[in-house]
Amino acid sequence: MPDESKKSGFLGTFLDAQLTKERVRTWRIVFFVALLATVLLAFLIPNHHPHFGLDKYPAFWAAFGLVVGVALVLFVKKIVQPLIKRSEDHYGDL
Amino acid sequence: MVTSNFFHPSIGFLMMAVVLPFLPGNRRWKWLLLIPPLAAIYAAFTNQPGDYLTMTWLGQTLKFGHVDALSSIFAQVFAIMSLAGILYALHVDDKGQHVAALLYVTGGFGCVFAGDYLTLFAFWELMSVGSTFLVMLNRTRESVLASFRYFIYHTVGGLFLLGGVLLRHKATGSFDFGPILAASAQPYDFLILAGFCVNAAVVPLHAWLPDAYPRGTVTGSVFMCAFTTKTAVYVLARAFPGWEILAIAGTVMAIFGVLYASMENNARRILSYHIVSQVGYMVAGIGVGTAITLNGASAHAYAHILYKGLLFMGAGAVLYSAGTQKLDELGGLAARLPWVMVFYMVAALSISGMPIFNGFVSKTMTIYGAAADHRTFVALGLELAAVGTFVSVGLKLPYFAFWGGKPTDWKRELKPIPFNMYLGMGLLAFMCVLQGVCPEILYRYLPYPEAVGEFQPWTAWNVLQASTLLGFAGLAFYLTRKVITPHKALNLDFDWFYRLIGRALYWLISRPAAFIDNIWTNVWNVVGLRGLMGSARSSVFFDKKIIDGVVDGSASGVKGIGVIGALLQNGKLQYYLGLMVVLALGLFAFFWYGVL
Repeated sequence: MPDESKKSGFLGTFLDAQLTKERVRTWRIVFFVALLATVLLAFLIPNHHPHFGLDKYPAFWAAFGLVVGVALVLFVKKIVQPLIKRSEDHYGDL
Repeated sequence: MVTSNFFHPSIGFLMMAVVLPFLPGNRRWKWLLLIPPLAAIYAAFTNQPGDYLTMTWLGQTLKFGHVDALSSIFAQVFAIMSLAGILYALHVDDKGQHVAALLYVTGGFGCVFAGDYLTLFAFWELMSVGSTFLVMLNRTRESVLASFRYFIYHTVGGLFLLGGVLLRHKATGSFDFGPILAASAQPYDFLILAGFCVNAAVVPLHAWLPDAYPRGTVTGSVFMCAFTTKTAVYVLARAFPGWEILAIAGTVMAIFGVLYASMENNARRILSYHIVSQVGYMVAGIGVGTAITLNGASAHAYAHILYKGLLFMGAGAVLYSAGTQKLDELGGLAARLPWVMVFYMVAALSISGMPIFNGFVSKTMTIYGAAADHRTFVALGLELAAVGTFVSVGLKLPYFAFWGGKPTDWKRELKPIPFNMYLGMGLLAFMCVLQGVCPEILYRYLPYPEAVGEFQPWTAWNVLQASTLLGFAGLAFYLTRKVITPHKALNLDFDWFYRLIGRALYWLISRPAAFIDNIWTNVWNVVGLRGLMGSARSSVFFDKKIIDGVVDGSASGVKGIGVIGALLQNGKLQYYLGLMVVLALGLFAFFWYGVL
């Protein structure tokens, strides 16, 4: 709907155009290339001040981010939330 | 309250709050609202260290203007935030909301410049009342109930503080507000600590925050997210630096907030849990208590106020425009609210500690300080929370609010967002980026300048470390985006226990008390009332025939006073609270001008 997208200005038009399948795929490739670049750079720029044993390895923070991120989401959504989840109006405040 | 080289920012906000209700209703008064924050910014950057505005009252010296490096840096960010918050709220026609916000900010500045515990307590309570109204004035049943819970809870917290302060005075003979040594701490010091911890939202005393903040007005929550918890951080930094228990509590807060934010569906509640988490960094920094971590806590409070205000503005703008803050009802809005998305993302990247944004120069300082002090678990816990922060506030919230894998939602009715809201967001976004790129404009005001040189944020390694950590946290979100999809639910928190205690107390008071009251009523009906009726008959005769003949019209006068009294005693908490503030301010003015 071109007339409505005009209302959102150039930025809105640009953002709307990024939602096609091809553009999403391009952005995904950009993201993965950037991730690869950070890991490769970690071999070039060493950590001169590791504070505890493991962080002397170049890809430690990449692994930490990935493992902690996935573990956190799975722990919270699969273990914690099923135990403490109640209906939205559990206390009758709404 | 102005001396040659000190201006107390509270005075501008207080005067505005007093005058505002009487200004004519043609909306031109809105421009006047900008004066107090501008005056506060000028004052915060020009006030020189020293003790100002002391007054003796009942044999106690009250210090209203204690200025040093620590109070100055908090006053600066409070001033900037008050300007952004008022800009954001400028379209609001409800004077009550502005008065509540002004009184609340008055309290915030009052606490920051308080040089003794009595002054601190007075402004502490003013903040509590002001913020209660910021929730209540959202005018839904949900908000009014939440504001009552909020007020009861903060009253209890305030009583801890008051009890500690009075017992401390009894033991030491002074209300001096300064560092307390952990080694020689007394029970009353722990009471004060507990009072501070309530406002700092230290787990498990935190549940008032995610209960009340999502239910405040769109503009009111922007103020609240900045002042209450950060005032508590300030008083903790002043009174309890180096307390080991705070290092542990802070790390627990940082992780706990992130866990709850990861499962929450309500956008402003996600942000509320992240206040708990981010304040955890500051509390941990204070607990570690080295010069660099205290600097880190102050820097992080500064940065946090700016980006958290902006996050609440962004989420508030979505709520204002789309009419809901529940992520499962949103999505496909990036192209409809593009600038809200951009401003929100600036704040989201700031809170996550992405290079270029201000979280990168403040959060890393605390973590570096903890690691340098060999607190591996504190440092790792804070890094873990950083991953969770990016996953939940940096990615989950904006993804499901603005995209959610849906096409652009052209059908949804969106209320146009007033320009002043964009202005408030723009100011904070500018500050977030400015501090991130030029950290020295933040670092030059830190309370321990000798430790500033120990930490350099913009090294190749730090930039790479932050980018790698966040990049792979992003990959984790990408892989688990189906699992983390939010759904409608209430997640039980510690307020379950608060409500249990509340109900138990209510039962304890109402049942036995009502029982005794019933017996008393019976006794009264049988014995007291008959005697009274007998004496009444004789006095009526005396009254009618003699008194009314002498003092004509006195009865109707008494009746009139009774009507006013009855109007004031209408059983509505909001009127009592308002009246209390008016009375307190009146008494204060009386003593201030009476003494000087």
